[in-house]
Amino acid sequence: MDTNARRRRVHTTVEDTEATLYNHDLSLYPKFPCSEIPLSEFEELAIDRVQLFRIIEQASLKGHKYFSDEWKKCIKDDMMKNNLKKFVRLLSGFNGQTELDIQARRADHISHFILRIAYCRSEELRKWFLARELEWFKIKFVSNSTPSILKFLQLNELNYQTISNEEKEDLKESLIVCTPGMNDVQVMMSEFYKVPFLDVWTLVQKRRVFLKEGYAYIPINDLVVSIQSTFRTTLSSKLVLMNRNLPNLDDERLSNLLCNLHQAYTGNEYTVSNDKDAINPADIDEYSKKHYPLCMRNLHETLRANHHLKHYGRLIYGLFLKAIGLKYEQFIEFWRSEFTKTMDTDAFNKNHLYNFNHQFGKVGKRVNYSPYSCMKIIMSNVGAGDAHCCPFRHFDVGRLRAKISECGAPSEGVSEIMQLVNNGHYQIACTKYFQYTHPQPSSNTINHPNQYFEESMNLVKDKTEKIVS
Amino acid sequence: MDSQAKFDESHLRDLLPLYYKRLFPAAHFYKWLSYGNASTFAHREISFALENDIYLRFQSFDTYKEFVEELYKKNPIKIDIGPIYLTKPKARNMGQALQASAKEMVFDIDLTDYDDVRTCCSGADVCTKCWKFMAIASKIIDTALREDFRYVNVLWVFSGRRGIHAWVSDEHARGLDINGRPAIAEYLTVLKEGMKKKKVSLTGHIHTSISRALKIIDKYFPTIVKEQDILGTDERLKNFLSILDDNVRTQFKDCMTKVTTSAERWEAFERKFMQLQQTNEIPRNLKNLREEIKLQYAYPRLDINVTKGITHLLKAPFCVHPKTGKVCVPFNVKHVDNFDPNNVPTISMIINEVDAYDKKTKEQEETLMETDEPSVTNQVKIKDYKKTSLLRPINLFSEFLKNLEKDTKKRVDPF
Repeated sequence: MDTNARRRRVHTTVEDTEATLYNHDLSLYPKFPCSEIPLSEFEELAIDRVQLFRIIEQASLKGHKYFSDEWKKCIKDDMMKNNLKKFVRLLSGFNGQTELDIQARRADHISHFILRIAYCRSEELRKWFLARELEWFKIKFVSNSTPSILKFLQLNELNYQTISNEEKEDLKESLIVCTPGMNDVQVMMSEFYKVPFLDVWTLVQKRRVFLKEGYAYIPINDLVVSIQSTFRTTLSSKLVLMNRNLPNLDDERLSNLLCNLHQAYTGNEYTVSNDKDAINPADIDEYSKKHYPLCMRNLHETLRANHHLKHYGRLIYGLFLKAIGLKYEQFIEFWRSEFTKTMDTDAFNKNHLYNFNHQFGKVGKRVNYSPYSCMKIIMSNVGAGDAHCCPFRHFDVGRLRAKISECGAPSEGVSEIMQLVNNGHYQIACTKYFQYTHPQPSSNTINHPNQYFEESMNLVKDKTEKIVS
Repeated sequence: MDSQAKFDESHLRDLLPLYYKRLFPAAHFYKWLSYGNASTFAHREISFALENDIYLRFQSFDTYKEFVEELYKKNPIKIDIGPIYLTKPKARNMGQALQASAKEMVFDIDLTDYDDVRTCCSGADVCTKCWKFMAIASKIIDTALREDFRYVNVLWVFSGRRGIHAWVSDEHARGLDINGRPAIAEYLTVLKEGMKKKKVSLTGHIHTSISRALKIIDKYFPTIVKEQDILGTDERLKNFLSILDDNVRTQFKDCMTKVTTSAERWEAFERKFMQLQQTNEIPRNLKNLREEIKLQYAYPRLDINVTKGITHLLKAPFCVHPKTGKVCVPFNVKHVDNFDPNNVPTISMIINEVDAYDKKTKEQEETLMETDEPSVTNQVKIKDYKKTSLLRPINLFSEFLKNLEKDTKKRVDPF
């Protein structure tokens, strides 16, 4: 394999050790890259990796089931389309040792560290980056064969203990019923590992693993969860550390690129509403009918009907209102006037005012909270009596059907939407709902209630502007 | 319950000072929350609720003395326990967020969350019939904590009205991080929240923790079907049928309407189910329908956010519930079936018990003195709680503390 590497040298900066440094598609990136690279390549690699991560994120938003074959295919296709061939190479599963393989791993390695510098800067950025890094690691991991995984474990000195055949025989029944995706034969064929349950808390959370006395019993395929957990912990603390050391790291040739990388290539966060037109509180009922996504419309209608919302309802609707441009005084007045229909002003001031002030960032930690995204709403707990929810996700089928036709979706639209809901594509269903209740579709998949609102408002603005001109 | 010991809400203000001074197990309480280390207690948030909705948050007490003095001075209606913070909560800087470092993992289960399945009581009421739901819940959660997670120091407490709390106090439970708590909470949550009628869906194999829970439920289920009369009226039958999928509903509806009592209807359902199963008329995704329904009716309904959050406050054991006067007493899960929530010591009752005991002792002494026996007065002074029905709950608490101490000393910790 070394001969191969010597024959074709693409980069002059490549050191002799590259073949050993980059000998596996999987990496936990333990070491900083120590070579020189041209600024242009630096920038190229940074953008490539952001693009890669954007593709991974989009695949879920497009409604593909996480880590399903279609999800993986969608990612691969998009990578090919976006000229990210070198990263696709890392998914081949062959763990080849050609020069091209080594170059791909080098790009993976360097771009990872560039993004560390760009994404260590805030809690929000770190969270996004960490989530994508973990997904990327897992995509690579699941493409690998068992021998290649074992090699990775050995290279990284990850010592996982397998359980003995006797122990496996004893636990056989439990392992079969608690290990999803494996049949009896597969369970008996696979090695099982015993790890502290917290190492695989994501599996515990979904009840997808057998637990006994504080240990989780996982097959080799689930080892990735445990490795991810180690990876998450180390990377997370390294990012925090790097953030602290940023003043020593920043380079003015790069700071512009690094500081704006995320905004330039990812979506809007809808945090602040300073550049937006103020809205008139008197129009809210009207807006709710014409421009609100179903989730917010449901909250608004519940509020008008009951003159009350439970905690998360208040929070989610409140932040939405703030982000569509309601000013502070109007915001408080809006809640006060509604709540005081069933309670006196004193009770409102005593029990609720602080909470609303807090939401607006006026008291306490004074945080300018971002409104909830679709993902957050879809994943949130909805209890009895709660009005906050993603109607596409949480409503009973009958109720949802009735609601969307009441809101003006034509019957063929209703059945199309219900079909999407059945398959668990809530955001696409919402996007379709937009299409059927507006003269033209939204420009993107809906992934934020405030995006829905803005797109809907823009259609009206376009129209009025056309009429005026 | 002793009629003269009936609790009257308006007396609470006069009774609380007596209760805290003479009966509240403050020393046990301190011992528990310090876990063998005084600074652990000093960094703990202990909040007081006082009369007129005054709430004192972020209090902490450097020493046992400081704690009891404040307790005697304020006589709180409620004491809440928060997390252990890196800095002492009382010494916090305004504007700087406190950082929680540890807390018991807690569970909060409340009968009001069962209002759609319990028919004997509603709202704040509770009786031995609906208490069965709490019995099931405590058994299921307790077993899972021990068998699946190897937590052993679990204190179960009656919340004073219609619910129960669990305090998992093992060291590796107290140190659970931001991922661990939600993971365990979700692991133990089977009913999906949301507006759908069917709250449980089991696809594929049934996980060991669920089949274990089902075994516990099975012991109670026939009684629940009868006592809660879950299928006894048309309305309740309709509710039941609405859980079923459209494609099988009519088949069950026919056979279940033919009979009248709850037990008969459940039996009809089971019989029909088995019959359909034999003829392969049960769709694959409904093969666990019976289990799903049992779980929907009887699986523990956790207030999951209480368990998930490390900063969540929870009412301390041995508080007195201001509405019922009942003391939040620990109970033994093994004997939960014999626990009667309406036979829990109330503050009035135990204070009367102390008086009665003292009176009797005094009389005995007087008799003794009259008979000119050598005086036995001023022997060892017996602790007040030992004169009351609080004795057993406090002994249970001591037992829990003893095991905890043993465990702290061993400290073999793989995590």
